[in-house]
Amino acid sequence: MEFLSNLALGFSTATSIENLFFCLIGVLLGTLIGVLPGIGATATIAMLLPITFQLEPVSSLIMLAGIYYGAQYGGSTTAILINMPGESSSAVTAIDGYQMARKGRAGAALSIAAIGSFFAGTVSTFLVAIFAPPLTEIALRFGAAEYFSLMIVGLVSSIALAHGSVIKALAMVALGLLLGLVGTDIYTGTPRFTLGIREYSDGLNFVAVAVGVFGIAEILRNLEGEKTRSLLMAKVSGLLPSKDDVKQMIGPILRGTAIGSALGILPGGGAILASFASYTVEKRISDRPEEFGHGAVAGVAGPESANNAGAQTSFIPLLTLGIPANPVMALMIGAMIIQGIVPGPNVAIEQPALFWGIIASMWIGNLMLVVLNLPLIGLWVKLLTIPYYVLFPIIMAFCSIGVYSVNSNVYDLYAVAFFGLIGYVLVKLRCEPAPLLLGFVLGPLLEENLRRAMILSRGDPTTFVTRPISATLLFIAFVVLVVVFLPSVRAKRDKVFQEED
Amino acid sequence: MKSLKFDSTNLICGLLFIGLGIFFALQAFSLDLGTAFRMGPGYFPFVLACALILFGAIIFFQSIRVTGEGIGPIAWRGIMFILPAPIFFGLTVRGLGFVPSLFLTALIAAFASGRMRPLTALVLATGLTIFSVLVFSYGLGLPFRRFGPWLEF
Amino acid sequence: MKILNAILGATALAAASLVSVAAIAQTYPERTITMIVPFAAGGPTDTVARLVAESMSNDLGQQVIVENVGGAGGTLGAARVASADADGYTILLHHIGMATSATLYRKLPYDTLNAFEYVGLVTDVPMTIVTRKDLEPTDLKGLIEYAKANKDTVTVANAGIGAASHLCGMLFMSAIETPLVTVPYKGTGPAMTDLLGGQVDIMCDQTTNTTKQIQGGTIKAYAVTSPERLDVLKDVPTAAEGGLADFQVGIWHGVYAPKGTPADAMARLTKSLQVALKDENVAARFAELGTEPSPENDATSDALKAKLESEIARWKPVIEAAGQYAD
Repeated sequence: MEFLSNLALGFSTATSIENLFFCLIGVLLGTLIGVLPGIGATATIAMLLPITFQLEPVSSLIMLAGIYYGAQYGGSTTAILINMPGESSSAVTAIDGYQMARKGRAGAALSIAAIGSFFAGTVSTFLVAIFAPPLTEIALRFGAAEYFSLMIVGLVSSIALAHGSVIKALAMVALGLLLGLVGTDIYTGTPRFTLGIREYSDGLNFVAVAVGVFGIAEILRNLEGEKTRSLLMAKVSGLLPSKDDVKQMIGPILRGTAIGSALGILPGGGAILASFASYTVEKRISDRPEEFGHGAVAGVAGPESANNAGAQTSFIPLLTLGIPANPVMALMIGAMIIQGIVPGPNVAIEQPALFWGIIASMWIGNLMLVVLNLPLIGLWVKLLTIPYYVLFPIIMAFCSIGVYSVNSNVYDLYAVAFFGLIGYVLVKLRCEPAPLLLGFVLGPLLEENLRRAMILSRGDPTTFVTRPISATLLFIAFVVLVVVFLPSVRAKRDKVFQEED
Repeated sequence: MKSLKFDSTNLICGLLFIGLGIFFALQAFSLDLGTAFRMGPGYFPFVLACALILFGAIIFFQSIRVTGEGIGPIAWRGIMFILPAPIFFGLTVRGLGFVPSLFLTALIAAFASGRMRPLTALVLATGLTIFSVLVFSYGLGLPFRRFGPWLEF
Repeated sequence: MKILNAILGATALAAASLVSVAAIAQTYPERTITMIVPFAAGGPTDTVARLVAESMSNDLGQQVIVENVGGAGGTLGAARVASADADGYTILLHHIGMATSATLYRKLPYDTLNAFEYVGLVTDVPMTIVTRKDLEPTDLKGLIEYAKANKDTVTVANAGIGAASHLCGMLFMSAIETPLVTVPYKGTGPAMTDLLGGQVDIMCDQTTNTTKQIQGGTIKAYAVTSPERLDVLKDVPTAAEGGLADFQVGIWHGVYAPKGTPADAMARLTKSLQVALKDENVAARFAELGTEPSPENDATSDALKAKLESEIARWKPVIEAAGQYAD
């Protein structure tokens, strides 16, 4: 068993006192900065990156991996507690997690997220260790046509994100897609919808849009009822999940792990879909779909597991190809290069201790995250007892810092205010922000891959059905569509038959 | 005579989406549309904008002859103070520097709530500023100038 | 405390000016210097900047901190520096894009040739012409013939308008006088992934991104664009050897300061850059990236100014012929 000896090498590297220490520091710092509202994983890592430069290569990367997991978990914590997602994946967690928190079950929601993440992290670490090279082979078969079809699956699934009007959800997705296209068109260099502002030529900042439509809209909503409502949250009951919760979370965690692991391997943006896809699946197979959007346990457990599994397996293209799958991975590559390691296809052979050490530290980092965070949950939940009027100036200050720190672009701050207003108006009009955010992240991917596929096929649209993987994905999209609309179709048909009787 | 009923929330919602759709459609139309096989920069957004107008129209027509919940109270005070906070930070962070800019940003945001007393707001903004300077400026070494050129003589 | 510092600084300055002009040079730098990198953290330019900044900090006795001001092909960061205080405490590290954006962007908020002072050249990263690994031709000549024969189906990937791979791709097509099918991507990562997966045929990119892949045999290299073969890629011929005599491209990096920065500060920065480029650690890291620090006579104000001027003139016709602008 070659992989066992590799893993043993990895663990012996990662469990040196020094490396354990840096892993712990990384997880701790990542959690603490990531939990600040408006500061998502990318901003956290960009902020903490320079302090890792002074260390040994292995320690530095282990610490960075720790920061990554910590930041992700911290981001989910903010999403659950104050509806302030720092990245697209935690936007899904915010839907039901925040509702759980409002019902006084913040502690349970946070525990479920931690346990789900840990389980998913453990499984996907082993996946990375055993299957990295063959999985990469599959990932490389994904060309533009395949990614386009995959995004279509994501888009179709987005309908399930809505718990209100489907047509409004569709409109929000369309609006999100359009907002995602703001910026320079990569094919012609033409600026689109930038209103002539060059600062928007690379597109709108995700954190600005997310903080605006989720966080600020929520703050404003809470401020309007100030005079009549005295308490924001119901009384906090029990920090740990109940027996019933545990029973409800097992299935979603298993499925979320599988979905996330599979999607995370794709370097072209599969991980983005992980939590959205998991949410869709859970809502569809649940016996109580009406609970979704009102604090369903499965709506937290599934997406959180999927998210973490995807985060883990998105290391695969980085480690086996030396290619970053997302901005966070790009930062990791930067860190490696500064350390004198240029990642490439041979890094596993040239630097086995580093390669396997990082993989082992992924698991250790996840373990530390659970050990660290379960006791911290009590503390996080206490934060909710801070009066709201004290909490939101703090939120505004941190999100200003967080948004500005990414690119030092003041226009991102103006976008926060603008999308805060838009988000509030849309909430008042009973539209939900999650579909908009999904559209926002999918928009550029969808268009880019559609146009690239058309260029590569020399204008032949049959490329989407003649390429087997793409055809399969489109078939899945079709099935999802049928499944989504089937209940309503059947309901109508039953009605027709009844009328005939 | 039957009076005209409509769900005002969805009516506004439909109109808003139609309006946004028209805005994007017009903008996209001024770009090169291309054809379905050789798409220009305007093609995809134009199709999306049309879809948005369509969805808006459906919402609009569905709103007629039903009654729904009203819009409810609007947080005018919140809008007046919360939204300018990040804008103020953006306008002043380089000129005034990180410390005064953040302090004033927190102060502005604090007044969005009627419950906030001036003294509490001052204490809160001060504490927040000290914390942030320690963490972000000294701790993490973010490249913010603590005091900007506007404060130099 | 800030006021105290300012008073101290002013007193020191006043005292120094009484003594001699040379004394001022010794007081600079007296606080942190910000080096603006007009690209995102973690990219190749950021890496170059961080290595140089760290070494310059040691020499200057003051921290040189890197601030990433990404966006609009590097023009946002350059604009920031162009309008910054010309006191020597804000500097810019930019690459070849400084010259090409003068033509690619028709509405720049700064005048490229008149808004900056020049510290010096940092490095000149060579490019490589690479293809998917199963392409048939065995040498550059064969590749060119193949491309000419199949010009409607051969695809050239690039990392977006203004990127190194975009510039080099344009130059390659104009050198072989054959327009090929251009496939743009958002960044080097996705472009390289599709090259590895065989979804696209050709790309011309910096050694920073291609060396390890070439060594690993996942892509095929036909030429390097430097005048001589590279130590890290000994088996890859130069473009001149392969039949493209004038095909020399490099992603050169330079350090700039806002126009009007005092001459003594400029001299100090140039000297510090030269020291940094001789740092063994910097040289070693650069070597791993497939490049080397600029020699001392290039790490000067005049050399950078000359380079910028000649590169603007060189790329203008290439970009105008392609007819693609970024605004």
